[in-house]
Amino acid sequence: MNVNAMRYLISESVLMLGRRKGSNIISIVIMGLSLLILVVFLLVTLNISRIIEATREEHRVYVYLEDGLAQNVSQAIQLRLLGSEGIEEVIFISKEEALARFREALGENRDILEALEENPLPDEYRVKLRPELIRSDFMGRMASEIEGWDGVEEVRYGRRWLERGETLVRGFYIVDLCIGAIIFLSVIFVISNTVRLMVISRRKAIDVMKLVGATNAYIQVPFIMEGALQGIFAALLAVGLLVLIYLFGTRYLSGLVFLDPGAVVGFIVFCALLGALGSFTAMRRFLKM
Amino acid sequence: MKAAEKRIVIGVYHLSRSFGKYFALQDINLQVANGEFVFLVGPSGAGKSTLLRLIYMDDFPTTGQVVVGPYVSTRMKRSTIPFLRRRVGIVFQNFRLIDERTVFENVALAMKVTGAGMSEIKRQVTDILARVGLYHKRYDYPPVLSGGEQQRVAIARAVANRPAILLADEPTGNLDPVVTKSILELLFKVNAAGTAVLMATHDIDLVRSFGQRIIYLEEGRIVRDKEMIFVGDLRERLPDSKVSRRADDLEGYDISGEGSGNGVERGPRE
Ligand SMILES: Nc1ncnc2c1ncn2[C@@H]1O[C@H](COP(=O)(O)OP(=O)(O)OP(=O)(O)O)[C@@H](O)[C@H]1O
Ligand SMILES: [Mg+2]
Repeated sequence: MNVNAMRYLISESVLMLGRRKGSNIISIVIMGLSLLILVVFLLVTLNISRIIEATREEHRVYVYLEDGLAQNVSQAIQLRLLGSEGIEEVIFISKEEALARFREALGENRDILEALEENPLPDEYRVKLRPELIRSDFMGRMASEIEGWDGVEEVRYGRRWLERGETLVRGFYIVDLCIGAIIFLSVIFVISNTVRLMVISRRKAIDVMKLVGATNAYIQVPFIMEGALQGIFAALLAVGLLVLIYLFGTRYLSGLVFLDPGAVVGFIVFCALLGALGSFTAMRRFLKM
Repeated sequence: MKAAEKRIVIGVYHLSRSFGKYFALQDINLQVANGEFVFLVGPSGAGKSTLLRLIYMDDFPTTGQVVVGPYVSTRMKRSTIPFLRRRVGIVFQNFRLIDERTVFENVALAMKVTGAGMSEIKRQVTDILARVGLYHKRYDYPPVLSGGEQQRVAIARAVANRPAILLADEPTGNLDPVVTKSILELLFKVNAAGTAVLMATHDIDLVRSFGQRIIYLEEGRIVRDKEMIFVGDLRERLPDSKVSRRADDLEGYDISGEGSGNGVERGPRE
């Protein structure tokens, strides 16, 4: 490829994009808005899955100890817990501490505790598991095993809550995936179709170029580049609007996260490819290749 | 006055073209030499456009063959068609300009696609636009031009690559008689500079007065191929032509696109 050819291809692409500003802007807006639906969806999914993860992180297993246990037995339990599979952290909370926390939590109603003659709460170990092991099957097994240990009174891990949560999360991801697939396919359809219409609207110019002896590459490459540029501009429009939505959202919801920069770049590249591909496939028909 | 070397630039041999059972063209034989001006005349539906399309290889014969310079229809690859097109200028009744490009860009496009350099394009396009009398409109877009002006742009584009052959399919079909005359004049000018011109028209009265070779086509057959009577710059044949008759108005084109030489030198018969 020589210098003239390079210059031609670049100036052609820019010229085509510039000369039809009106219809190009319309195409880019149409593509941008449909991409906006996709990125909003991605942002919502990302944030919901973050919340799910955070909730999972918070989850603890409570190992209650028998009353009046010797200290060395209690410590042996702690060591055994720390040595068990998937356990990240074990915190001891004495019955006194538990009561103090309880009192704290009761606030103004703490008077009702005055009636107590002795502390009814047991000593406990608060166990943090690796997040990926917070599953009802694993935890159920683990709980019944630990319950069999000497000195352990009871193990609670919020079974019902966990099972319901799991069903909910699974349901959410299935629905989310379906919606995502539909949006994704529509976006591909909208973009390739918009680019195709752009190519069809230039049919006359394509015929003229064939007439004056342009090779297929000379005809095609500027169109493919234009398709890619349209894709990029549409992606930038969508991301720009998404930033606004995000900034607006952070005023009402704290802890909102944005798509990471790598994903944004990937998205823009994806849109460029989609535009180029749409243009390429539309051209093939005209050029009878 | 030296005799010009005669070369065949278009050869059509035993050509037929059928669409289903219908023969649009049947057993066509003709040859066009370098620098010739040939009218292709016939009623609507005679097959004129079909024949021209076969010559610029937008279509291919059912039987027989077309030879244009080094290009032979029966051995043509799709990828070489663009190179044929660069040696054959084509003009239509409906001009076929690109609306969103200026006059200058429309003409320049024909050169750009060949990979010509910017400075060469600028020089050549400026030159040609001046010759067709549209340099002052170079920044205008085709939709604001008159039909005659658009056709001049189309002709300028067709000759931008100094083609050996100019094919014109009813180039005056959309134009009034005065503009028709000026377009004919321009085509004669192109021819005088050495490009062979094959012009299709259904207007027999228009072409009869020039004494040029006329091929009559009817129902897909050549019914008569009238010899050229007048030899020379055809513009002399146009009544009250205002154009300078000097043959160097347009510099000579390399007819075949392969050899050297400045086309045909001609003069009126003694
Ligand atoms: N692609 C095609 N498919 C079917 N028939 C065709 C096709 N192209 C041309 N024909 C037929 O071939 C015949 C010749 O058509 P052509 O356009 O060459 O005529 P023409 O001499 O140029 O007429 P006009 O003066 O009206 O332009 C017509 O009957 C036309 O219907
Ligand atoms: Mg016709």
